[in-house]
Amino acid sequence: MRKIYITFIVLFLSISSFAQQGAIEVEGIVTDANEEPLIGVNIVVKDIPGMGTVTDIDGKYKIRMEPYHRLVFSYVGFDNVEVLIKEDRRVDVQMKESASTSLDEIVVTGTGAQKKLTVTGAITNVEVDQLKVNPTSSLVNSLAGNVAGVYAMQTSGQPGKNISEFWIRGISTFGANKAAYVLVDGFPRDINDVNVEDVESFSVLKDASATAIYGDKGANGVVLITTKRGKAGKVDIQAKLETSYNSRTITPSVIDGNEYVKMVNEAKITRNQEPIYSDEEFEIISRNLDPDLYPNVNWNSVLLKAGASTHRASVNVNGGSSTARYYVSMSYINEKGMYKTDDQLEKDYDTNADYRVLNYRLNTDVNITKTSVLKVGVAGRLSKQNNAAMYDEAQIWHAILGTSPVYIPVMYSNGYVTASGLGERTNPWVQATQSGYSEHWVNNVQTNATWEQDLGFLTQGLNFTANIGYDLSNANWINRVKWPKQWRAERMRDANGQLIFQHIAGPAEMYQESTASGIKKEFAEVWLNYGRGFNEKHNVGTTLKWHIDSNERTDNVGSDIKEGIPNRHESFAGRLTYNYALRYFIDFNFGYTGSENFAKDHKWGFFPAFSLAWNVAEEKLVKEKLPWINMFKIRYSDGRVGNDDIGTRIPYLYTLAFNGSKGYNWGDFYFNKYYQSLYYSQIASTGITWEKAIKHDLGVDLALFSDKLLITADYFDESREGIYYTRNFLPGMVGLESNPKANVGKVNSNGFDGNFTFRQKIGEVNFTMRGNWTYSKNEIIDIDEENSIYPYQMQKGRRVDQVTGLVALGLFKDYDDIRNSPLQEFGTYQPGDIKYADVNGDGVINDGDITSIGATRKPNLIYGIGSSIQWRGLDLNVHFQGSGKSSFLINGPNVYAFNEGIWGNVFSDIAHSKRWVSADISGDETTEDTNAEYPRLSYGGNPNNYRASTFWLRDGRYLRLKTLEVGYTLPKTWLTETHLNSVRLFFIGTNLFTWAPFKMWDPELGSSTGEEYPISKILTLGVTINI
Amino acid sequence: MLKHTKHIIFFILALFAIVSCADYLDTDKYFKDRMSVEKAFKQREYAENWLAHAYSFLQNENADVCNKNHSWHNFADDIYTGDWDELYKKFKNGEYDEGSLQASWSSCYKGIRQASEFINNIDINEEMTQEEITDYKGQARFVRAYFYWLLLRKYGPIPIIKNDDGMIDYTLPYSEIALPRNHYDDCVEYITSELVQAAKELLLDREALNIARPTRGAALSARAKVLLFAASPLANGNNDDYAALLVDDEGNRLLSEKYDEMKWAKAAAAAKDVMELGKYQLYVSHYRDFGNNDFPQTIAPPYHPDYSGRDWPNGWKNIDPFASYRALFNGELSASTNPELIFSRVQNGTGGESGGLQWMVVHMLPRAANGWNTIGVTQKQCDAYYMDDGSDVSGKDKEIGRGNGSDRSDGYVTAADVQAGRYKPLLEGTSLQYANREPRFYASVAYNGALWPLSAATQADHRNYRAWYYRGSPDGYSNNFYWLRTGIGCKKYVHPYDTYENNSLSQVRYKTEPAIRYAEILLIYAEALNELNESHQVPSWDGSKTHTISRDISEIKKGILPIRLRAGLPDYPSDVYANKDGFRKKLKRERQVELMAEGHRYYDLRRWKDAPVEEVLPVFGCNTLMTENQRDLFHTPVAVSSLPTTFSDKMWFWPISKSELKRNSRLTQNPGWQTYD
Repeated sequence: MRKIYITFIVLFLSISSFAQQGAIEVEGIVTDANEEPLIGVNIVVKDIPGMGTVTDIDGKYKIRMEPYHRLVFSYVGFDNVEVLIKEDRRVDVQMKESASTSLDEIVVTGTGAQKKLTVTGAITNVEVDQLKVNPTSSLVNSLAGNVAGVYAMQTSGQPGKNISEFWIRGISTFGANKAAYVLVDGFPRDINDVNVEDVESFSVLKDASATAIYGDKGANGVVLITTKRGKAGKVDIQAKLETSYNSRTITPSVIDGNEYVKMVNEAKITRNQEPIYSDEEFEIISRNLDPDLYPNVNWNSVLLKAGASTHRASVNVNGGSSTARYYVSMSYINEKGMYKTDDQLEKDYDTNADYRVLNYRLNTDVNITKTSVLKVGVAGRLSKQNNAAMYDEAQIWHAILGTSPVYIPVMYSNGYVTASGLGERTNPWVQATQSGYSEHWVNNVQTNATWEQDLGFLTQGLNFTANIGYDLSNANWINRVKWPKQWRAERMRDANGQLIFQHIAGPAEMYQESTASGIKKEFAEVWLNYGRGFNEKHNVGTTLKWHIDSNERTDNVGSDIKEGIPNRHESFAGRLTYNYALRYFIDFNFGYTGSENFAKDHKWGFFPAFSLAWNVAEEKLVKEKLPWINMFKIRYSDGRVGNDDIGTRIPYLYTLAFNGSKGYNWGDFYFNKYYQSLYYSQIASTGITWEKAIKHDLGVDLALFSDKLLITADYFDESREGIYYTRNFLPGMVGLESNPKANVGKVNSNGFDGNFTFRQKIGEVNFTMRGNWTYSKNEIIDIDEENSIYPYQMQKGRRVDQVTGLVALGLFKDYDDIRNSPLQEFGTYQPGDIKYADVNGDGVINDGDITSIGATRKPNLIYGIGSSIQWRGLDLNVHFQGSGKSSFLINGPNVYAFNEGIWGNVFSDIAHSKRWVSADISGDETTEDTNAEYPRLSYGGNPNNYRASTFWLRDGRYLRLKTLEVGYTLPKTWLTETHLNSVRLFFIGTNLFTWAPFKMWDPELGSSTGEEYPISKILTLGVTINI
Repeated sequence: MLKHTKHIIFFILALFAIVSCADYLDTDKYFKDRMSVEKAFKQREYAENWLAHAYSFLQNENADVCNKNHSWHNFADDIYTGDWDELYKKFKNGEYDEGSLQASWSSCYKGIRQASEFINNIDINEEMTQEEITDYKGQARFVRAYFYWLLLRKYGPIPIIKNDDGMIDYTLPYSEIALPRNHYDDCVEYITSELVQAAKELLLDREALNIARPTRGAALSARAKVLLFAASPLANGNNDDYAALLVDDEGNRLLSEKYDEMKWAKAAAAAKDVMELGKYQLYVSHYRDFGNNDFPQTIAPPYHPDYSGRDWPNGWKNIDPFASYRALFNGELSASTNPELIFSRVQNGTGGESGGLQWMVVHMLPRAANGWNTIGVTQKQCDAYYMDDGSDVSGKDKEIGRGNGSDRSDGYVTAADVQAGRYKPLLEGTSLQYANREPRFYASVAYNGALWPLSAATQADHRNYRAWYYRGSPDGYSNNFYWLRTGIGCKKYVHPYDTYENNSLSQVRYKTEPAIRYAEILLIYAEALNELNESHQVPSWDGSKTHTISRDISEIKKGILPIRLRAGLPDYPSDVYANKDGFRKKLKRERQVELMAEGHRYYDLRRWKDAPVEEVLPVFGCNTLMTENQRDLFHTPVAVSSLPTTFSDKMWFWPISKSELKRNSRLTQNPGWQTYD
């Protein structure tokens, strides 16, 4: 907190130094090379804090200043102009368009910003504007299909949980954490804590040369985010207001009561059982004559609104002088859940899945001396997530989809609440609205301070930076539970025709439960940089870095000392670069990193990498003969990095525990000499260390036709060794009571990624097209597993998390077909049931025939393609995103029709697809179709049909119109009367269309049952105002 | 500027200096006060805790005498259980599989590791005297050897971890962890040498507070048991097809092809080592002049010129054979007051649904005592008991083709008989087939119409209950689980007070598990001596002397006669001792009777290689479908179809679990069982 005060004081001082004396007034007009006036040119007085103005609609300006100072004119896309003002009262300036090209593009790397031209590793610089178009509270949702090399998957649409998982260049381990290492302003922080409006740069470091300096943290790739900082000049205020309407990309659709009754009867009859519903009962249900005993409920419409809203507002202010600058921002998001709520209760509390977030940030930079800058940053995030108290998303959706339309009414006509099953089978309306509410708060405060010292006075090109940071995070969860009185009516009425009720459960009056967690992080870092060119040919650079961080749980740490001690890392890292005339490059990077999580001899590791690049475009011959090639850089890198995020604290230490029920009593009966037992509750895993990754990358960067076409493409391969894993298959003979961990597995992966941008200006139309793709594939070389006599049953040789099951050959045609086929050992089966392949040829079908049958649930291919067009004030941006090479099994009560008897409904898509129907029922031989999409119905469990097999395997690929954005920037002339600089109105459509072979629910969810909060389709209207 | 420069450079240097000094990643300081192995072994209390954990694996599935559920080895051709029908049938039919009752494999090895760790570390203890440390190390060593023994008995040859520290290094790759099975004789050599070492370390006596800890006698007795098994036909000179298939991963046989008589001599010498400790004696209860239903007046054995007039141990004049035998099991004697008890888990593993002896009694008690009424005795076992004069019962084993031509008695005890004091302790209406049997019969077998005192029952009419097994009687045939399939019950371990009133164990007395008792040692001695042709010189356990071991009849009698006399039975006629085969038969029968329901018979039938015959004979019992009116038919034995019998080669040893085979690539399965697929 003290840090915040100090920051405010510094800020206040910098703003209050506006005092002026003995000033003159200077005015003039600023034009471009064609003598057209330039509107909004930034003008500051050099080295005087807070002095500045901008040109007006006619390119005119007026400023009061002291004489004998320099005026600096700056404008985006133009070179700066500096003019020394002596006593002149009028200064007209002509500015030249800057000749900056792709060669000057700046990329943020692990060792600081550098020109893209000189980058030799695989680094993707993300265009921040592309991240801003996603109107959810998390910026990771816009990574999929926008960033080459990044896979992302959104597995829930629930506000606050609608955060994509993402991986860089696929998954290369099955042991330790697969997630990328994310650094915000230099320190490891949660990417979701960052407000997208505050992002200045976002880069993804993919290969070993880029991540080696992170040593044992670099193996899964690194994301670097820097936040915006103040710029000298006039106060600049940006405000953005958005309001969105969220509906669903695909709402899982289930059949209604009429269809349900017909199908359930078919399921019984086709297995020679009595149908459940008589014709009379069917009549009652279809005409809804007795909603108490014969309900016909559409649970989707009982529980779900058509859509929900999101409101978002953000404002940021930046400005300052050349001696002190500030950036202040604040944003607020309110995402509403899409459940219907009880109107009565709504006034009192919120059971809906609502999510509110407040982000703030204050970045201040102060030049303390001519050569040193102090930067202080404070940021925070407060969030609150509401929910129904007793049931989470998965349970509520299990009930919404699984409660059949004819099972129970929402409520009896006399107002009694209907009882259904227990737990996740509770009446869905009770689950979502009547069981109380929970609130989950997270409060984060992040602070950091940086001192940058230019040591140019010692030797040119030398500088020094020190950083410290301190973050606190607290999460509190409180659950206020209640439980209504619930009833069930008997199937018969009494003599007076009244319902006979049985009291099943409840009531429970409201009570509460709560938990909390907290994390404290500390960081420090020191840098020494040196970079200089000699003789205009030889360019050298070195960087040395020392870094420590500590991460400590502060609440609910349990009784084991291991869990409460700070998790610490320390690293020394460095980089040496040399290039010859920007033509030949060589880089050497290293990290010497340590983690306190490992035993003494395994704490420290050395991770070297080197990279080479050749910029062919700089060769004389190319320059002369192929001048349209602006850049043609071939890169190669090779190095090793590690992954120490193994999730287990201090695995090299054993834990001894007492067990009161496993002791021994040595006394005779009626004597007590009982001793509880003392034993290894966790055996030591000595020698545990980080996973090692050996990475290679071959890439090319192309800039052609005066930067109209930019292409980057990379081939990569990786070998991940010593994968951290539990040794689950030690023989009982070893006599352990807990499984040790070890670095045992190995996975190889390879793939390619790349992106292109094409820009063309035709008259006043700016046209841009961009695309990117990522493909990778892995193979398990070694994993902890038992012997199996069938090699295909071993994970070795498969992909990580590859889908396994039986191979279905279609449906049995008739009893002859059954007789002539191998025996299937799962349960009885008839014609129309699923026939499986005898994979091992042993004449029977059983678990020994399970093999790998598909890809992985997580995609192996992800791509995006988009285009933007700008004409005068109008802009249009279209972005398609797709994913492929994934497959998943479907199952659950609504897929396996009537598998669980009375529980479950049937997805419409399944009900309306072709299924095998006995000719006895349909009266038509052709319905006994062995190629039908679904097998003969059955009721109450069918272990033959309803098991993992290719029959239930679905392709997870999809392509969606992820973003459609239309914006209109009001003409400057309209704003002359106001104090506004610019105003842009926009519309964004997100996930407007999805094309996928799988239609029952959104395939991106990766769900096997569809019981997930659907992904949102979002319509957003917004305005951005710049003052 | 220069001043600033100095400051800045100084600051930078200072920063790097701080960095290089502080050991930022040192975590040792946090763990200094945490529980450590060192602390665990330095302090007495923690060391006891550690050892308790090693002992704890002796319970449940590793108990020697136990009810169904954890293990089924207490049920061979002698007793059976009627509930848990499906499981029992699977067990008897050999339909159990590689996954059945496998807990003992891993729990024994867990105990082995825990004990090894103890042996390796206990020397650092600062709170025990050197003598205590030695004794405690001996305890851990005994326990470890005992786990190996339990494994050997159940699974046959097993992998022995012979590293110096007795532990497998779990950080090694699976391929290096894999161990093959050792030869049966290797296992025996390892176990017995460990037991000798334990015997040297262990105390000779334990007071009541430590009665469940092994003594020197326990170690030497366990050694005698192991050596007896090693000398028996299954492991000694086994040339059958099965033995040829039982091999390790390199194809080496694991059972000795070559018969070695010395093995018997070693077993006999080992038993003699125990006898010469002078520590143990058979328990006898004194002659009782008067009595009641709970503790009846002594029924003296028929007059015998040699024994009736002499006091124990030369005769039975001053003892009550029935009470002597009964008190060993039913809880009358505590572990510390039982001079015959050598090793027992005592209080441990007695609880647990269906596990311990109290629960076994609940399964024996009649319905009137709220018992399950399901554990009973087969006709074969019933017939094995002698008449009170040492002769065979009339009609013995007639139905299974082993009769001597005689028929079963067909009369019943009348009121006049009771009045006249005939057929004691039979009451009116009891079949005369059960009359005048040896005392152990009345202490063990709950024949039709036997009296159950149930004296702890709160209501008088619940006591002194006569259980009848006729159809229509409360304890007779029914369509639930609770009836005796042979119409012959079991009441060994049942105390006259015991009742399961209100489904509470509180009125079932604690029973001490007779894991090893002196009677068994005596029988081992007699059995092993009988097998000898030659005289052998065998060093005693501690090498202090040499036993001369040969088939000396007077020595054999030292083993068998006390057992007979305590039971009120006279010695065998001298021709029984004349040849090995004759005596062997008698000895097997003596073990069958004396050690019934103590977890021996299942393994005895296997080591003797008698199982293919004995386990296959149909089980006979009373005709339980008959009502009281048809009592003659009831007492005419019929084959009991609901008690299956079978034996196939795979049933010699228990299968090894598939998962263990998958994990230990050098392990080989017992013949007849699947490896894995």
